Amino acid sequence: MTYSPELLKGTLKTIVLKLLTDNKKMYGYEITQKVKELTRDKIQITEGALYPTLHALEADGLVTTEVEYIGKRVRKYYSLSPTGKAATREKLKELTNFMDTMIALLEIKPKMA
Amino acid sequence: MYQLNDQQIDLILSDLRQRGIETESMRMNLLDHICILIENHLEENGDFGQFYATTIRSFYKEELRELEDEARLLMALNKGHLLLSRNQFFLLLFALLIGPFITYDLVWMVQTGPGWFIPAEIWVSTIVFALYPLLVLLVLFLTPDRFDPLIPHRAKILLGGRPLIRVMVMDTVQQ
Repeated sequence: MTYSPELLKGTLKTIVLKLLTDNKKMYGYEITQKVKELTRDKIQITEGALYPTLHALEADGLVTTEVEYIGKRVRKYYSLSPTGKAATREKLKELTNFMDTMIALLEIKPKMA
Repeated sequence: MYQLNDQQIDLILSDLRQRGIETESMRMNLLDHICILIENHLEENGDFGQFYATTIRSFYKEELRELEDEARLLMALNKGHLLLSRNQFFLLLFALLIGPFITYDLVWMVQTGPGWFIPAEIWVSTIVFALYPLLVLLVLFLTPDRFDPLIPHRAKILLGGRPLIRVMVMDTVQQ
C-alpha cells in the first residue's frame, strides 16, 4: 500500500530535512531511494514533488548545495544550513504534535506491541 | 547497465528546455535524475528514445513545467503573494482597466446632485476609452484553451513572485 500524494504534501519538507539531518548530504535521486527503502516502498516521493521542494528549501536558506561534475552532467548535493538545522527541530516538533492531535481527533487507538 | 553518451545528454537537456524548464538548477537536477534512471534500468542495448519518453512522462501530470511552477509557488509562499484563479485574474483586470471609468461616472453623478444626469460627452468618452480594454478582456476570457496558450482555463496566476505576474499550470501545485 502506498500513501496518497495529498497525505504527503504537507510533510515533504520535514521528510527531506530529517533525511538531511541523518545523512549529511544527499542528491535528489538518493533521497527518493532512501525514502522508499526506509518506508518499505510505502512512500514513493515523485520527482514532481521532490525537486520543487528542494528548490524552495534552498530559496528559504534551509539547505545549502554543492555540485559534483560527472562528465557532461552535474550532480547537486543538498545539506542542511544552520538555519535548516533549527527549522528541522521545529518542523519535527510541529509534525509530532500534529500527529498526536490527529490520533486524538480521529480516536485512533495505538497498536499494542 | 546502459552508458549514456554526450549526444544523448545534450538531447535530454534540450528537451527539458523545450518542455519549459527554464531554471538551470532545476534542469541539472532533472538531467541527473533521468540519467541515473536510464543507466540503472535500461539494458545495454535497450531503446534509449522509448525509455526516455516513458521516464519523462512519469514526472508530470499535464506538462513538465508544472515542476517549475510548483517550485515558484513554494518559494513565493513565504513572501507576500496573491494566487488568483483565471476568473479572479480577469475580474481584477476588469476592475483595474474599466473601474476608473465607472468610478469617474459615479463621482460625476454624485457631484451633480439629484437627477443622476451624466452629459452625453462623458458617456461617449467612457464608452470609447473603456471599450478597447473591455473587448481585449472579453476576447481573452472567451478564447478556448486550444487557442490560448497564454492563459489556459486551468491556469492560476501568481502575483507578487518573480516575475511579478506569472501564469502557472496548476495540476500539481499545492494550494
